[in-house]
Amino acid sequence: MHDEFRTLEATAESAGGAAPMPALRVAPSPHIADPSLTTARMMIDVLIGLAPVIAMSVWVFRWYAVLQIVIATLSCLAAEALATSMRRRALTLGDFSAAVTGVILGLSLPWSAPWYVGVIAGFIAIGLGKAVFGGLGYNVFNPAMVGRAFVMIAFPGALGAAAYQAQGVALHVVTEATPLTLAKQSAIATDWWPLFLGTVNGSLGETSALACLLGGLWLCLRRTASWEIPASIVGTVAVLAGIGQLVRPDSPMTLAHHLLGGALLFGAFFIATDPVTSPLTFRGKVVFGIGIGVLVWLIRTFSGYPEGVMFAVLVMNAVTPLLNRWVYPDPLGGPAPAPKS
Amino acid sequence: MASLDQPTALERFINGILPENPVYRQLLGMCPTLAVTNSMQAAMTMAGATAFVLISANTITSLIRNVLKPHLRILVFTLTIATFVTIADRFLAAYMYEMSKQLGPYVPLIIVNCVIVGRCEVCGSRQPVHVAFSDGVGQSIGFALALASIASVRELLGSGTWFGLPVLPASWPAWVIMLLPPGAFLTLGALMGVVNWYQARRAATAK
Amino acid sequence: MIRYLAQAWLVILLGLCFGAALAGMQMLVADRIAENKLNETLAQIPVLVPGAERGEPATVGERTVYRALQGDRIVGWVVPAGGLGFGDRIELLVGLDAQAATLTGLYVLEQKETPGLGNKIGDETWRDQFQGKRLGTPLTVVKRDPAPDSAEIRAITGATISSQAVCTIVNQALTDEFRAALAAAAQE
Repeated sequence: MHDEFRTLEATAESAGGAAPMPALRVAPSPHIADPSLTTARMMIDVLIGLAPVIAMSVWVFRWYAVLQIVIATLSCLAAEALATSMRRRALTLGDFSAAVTGVILGLSLPWSAPWYVGVIAGFIAIGLGKAVFGGLGYNVFNPAMVGRAFVMIAFPGALGAAAYQAQGVALHVVTEATPLTLAKQSAIATDWWPLFLGTVNGSLGETSALACLLGGLWLCLRRTASWEIPASIVGTVAVLAGIGQLVRPDSPMTLAHHLLGGALLFGAFFIATDPVTSPLTFRGKVVFGIGIGVLVWLIRTFSGYPEGVMFAVLVMNAVTPLLNRWVYPDPLGGPAPAPKS
Repeated sequence: MASLDQPTALERFINGILPENPVYRQLLGMCPTLAVTNSMQAAMTMAGATAFVLISANTITSLIRNVLKPHLRILVFTLTIATFVTIADRFLAAYMYEMSKQLGPYVPLIIVNCVIVGRCEVCGSRQPVHVAFSDGVGQSIGFALALASIASVRELLGSGTWFGLPVLPASWPAWVIMLLPPGAFLTLGALMGVVNWYQARRAATAK
Repeated sequence: MIRYLAQAWLVILLGLCFGAALAGMQMLVADRIAENKLNETLAQIPVLVPGAERGEPATVGERTVYRALQGDRIVGWVVPAGGLGFGDRIELLVGLDAQAATLTGLYVLEQKETPGLGNKIGDETWRDQFQGKRLGTPLTVVKRDPAPDSAEIRAITGATISSQAVCTIVNQALTDEFRAALAAAAQE
């Protein structure tokens, strides 16, 4: 934009010749900018919202959680620094977006993941998920989920259902499989209270529904996250799972499992709400959320994977540009009148 | 018949290897490039079969170029290519049965490899036999180099081996994704980026 | 007519030459290719059935199976079986003793399971579990060490579905009637 100014001024000067005309600075709207509405403020909000989730994961998984989050975050920061310096741009670590990607990525990993998983996932998340598209704001897919999907397919042994369970570790929760795997493969239903509190096995950030709700509500209240997305995701899964429970009351995949068991709340509040990769309008957000909800339920119920939040978000990310075009909002003052013929 | 501004045999040969590399510069032949590069053995067998078809078809086309009716040329190209592909396919099935099973439909699919029909059109049908032959060899080497570069990355990361020989330590965590189709796209994209960066830098220093 | 020939003579001539070349190629290698295909199965027979020296195709109950022969005596059977795995179809060869009562071996002809996890169904250490299993009770997959003398197969870690698929294919291929037909055919 500054370049445009300069051109304008230059033209004005050259046109004015000896008597220079006053430079007229015209910029497109919006003309009022709120200095507090910055990327960094939004990202710090997300980090504050993630605080209860981090606390809960550290309480449940102890040092394993700290290790994964630190590895993933440092890798994302390093990748961001590398990517921006390769493109000869100013360092963008200060907007905290890479840090948020790193923390969310770390929280989405299993406690047992080897160190290289977090490192590779971090570099893929920033490099392939964000930098190749042109940096923050241009990425099509949620970077953290790109990184996680990559390592999930690259190292199925380290991230599959079997990786969560282990014996002989000083952690009580990891002797059992994750609630969704238990329900799906062994037909064992976990009580809803541990699911809600988070004292069960799972990816680091997903276990505690309570912490996700606390952090998520903060984000929605601060309007950093749009409430429409989590509300429509959770609502859709609740309806589908409710119908499922009515049809098959003996199934261990109860409503509580669907809502509290997997990464649904974590994904709904912290992953799907990424403003870059989600639609802009109210209707778009609702359709986006319903799409994620339906996909999550379908994947959990009918596929070989126990959990489907990651793939659901990535699929709907891909649909987002289409949604944005489809639910194009009316301009101020009503739709543009059809040209008179 | 060759006019003076047509490239010579040597120029054709060199062009095929890097300046007009079929994969990295012309973006042709993507199907085998993506489909069979998860191991060096498969990639090099494919490169060999493609080289046989390309050189033979190019030479034959050049031999008959003076009696070729322009509006029938694509028909004749396809006929020629299909014949040599079938010969290559039968040969592999007879003498390299395991590899032929592994490559599956991708050997018959050499017929639709645009590198070959492209060379017949650009060079074979216009230039004398020795130029067409060296053009075929150059393009084949370029194609083989491209497949080798992608297959090396994918096999090293995906299995920790090269030509089936263990290279990386046994504790190397195999990146399964590199052996699957996404790995092919990612590797091709990354290497294409490197090639473009190198070209841009060379162009910049040449100025 | 002459006009058409003037246009098409080259195509016709090339078609004839190439056709002749392909026919020659086919005559040269057809036997070898057929042999390769048969050998792939036959070469496994001495591995799959102990004591077998060679195999030959046979038809039992409308299915193609292979007799495993020692001299002229039938020492077992090799049964091709296939079904859906996690990724795509899995094609197996199952070795049986002459009475079709015990599994003597298992070989994976074709599979496209996940590399690193499901494709371990091709590993010898895993396949060896099937040796000596008594047939009659269906094979089941367990996630611990299988009980001795049982029809239990230990699942590959992280690839329960592929392991289950192999057991299901074997179970479905070797029905009681089919095994009875095999045993009867061995008596003849």
